[in-house]
Amino acid sequence: MVVKVHIHTTHRQFTNGSEVVAVEGNTVGECLSHLIKQFPGMEKALFAKKDKLLNNVEVYLNHASAYPNELLKPVQDGDDIHLVVMLTGG
Amino acid sequence: MLTRSERERYDRQIMIGEIGQEGQGKLKRSRVVIAGTGGLGSPIALYLTAAGIGTIRVIDHDQVALSNLNRQILHWEEDVGRKKVDSARAKLRNLNSMVEIQAIAETITKENVSELVGGCDAIVDAMDNLPTRYILNRCAIEKNIPFFHGAVNGFEGRVMTVLPGETACLRCMYRGLVPQEKFPVIGVAPAVIGSIQATEVIKYLVGIGKLLTNRLLIYDGLRVTFSEFRLNKNPNCDHCGSLAGKE
Repeated sequence: MVVKVHIHTTHRQFTNGSEVVAVEGNTVGECLSHLIKQFPGMEKALFAKKDKLLNNVEVYLNHASAYPNELLKPVQDGDDIHLVVMLTGG
Repeated sequence: MLTRSERERYDRQIMIGEIGQEGQGKLKRSRVVIAGTGGLGSPIALYLTAAGIGTIRVIDHDQVALSNLNRQILHWEEDVGRKKVDSARAKLRNLNSMVEIQAIAETITKENVSELVGGCDAIVDAMDNLPTRYILNRCAIEKNIPFFHGAVNGFEGRVMTVLPGETACLRCMYRGLVPQEKFPVIGVAPAVIGSIQATEVIKYLVGIGKLLTNRLLIYDGLRVTFSEFRLNKNPNCDHCGSLAGKE
């Protein structure tokens, strides 16, 4: 399965500026593992520990919230994953 | 019933078919709380005051600092050191003396929030931190008052509208505490987001259009893109779902 991961602005420093990265996997979690394999800096940007996303990271699959259990959600060829950072400012 | 002066003042928006005199009357009879008079609160308060909301209650415990002035357009150089709500009230009264402006210089807490928002038809989130947003979100749900969320960082912002009991709330995707940090921001970002929040409030009060419910709108000012994501009401949410009240 080839899936497009859309990288949040604040994370593009870890993807050499890439806004979209092609990854492979059968679940969101596998896709993110493949993303980290290509760009190891993304691990700290996304995960507090193994299989535990940071609290301020939101995952959307095909423009719909993947919460809860985001990492277990199955993906299909051509799907889009958006990684979004929660904002707190006002 | 609108006075002659009000009909003249609001003529251009009364001309909008969806508003008309009836809609303007609804705005006049409405009471809105704006929590925060900073980057988001400034455009929200200005546009809702200009639009002729009957009563606007602004809440902010803070004082104006020089570093606020790049974005908090209700406050000017002469206001540095002044209570933000006093500065806000003065500007808003000068903008539209027909609107009752209530200024409350208090910190919003779990204990006082119910009283602070009491009697209002809408709660607008113009806060700069998540814990207070969650206090407002919970209170909005408990009191069945629509909640209009907005947040910014840098050139980016997000907006969503919560109708208690019907749509996803701010807490529905909660995964745990997020560290509070000083955030970067340029004034045009809260200008965009606050204007959308004010638009949502007006639409809700008049009863027109399609609200940003079960949808999160994300604005990227650097690329000038708007992205929309679907949200789901979480049946196990501790604010609006089965776990509500079981803290």
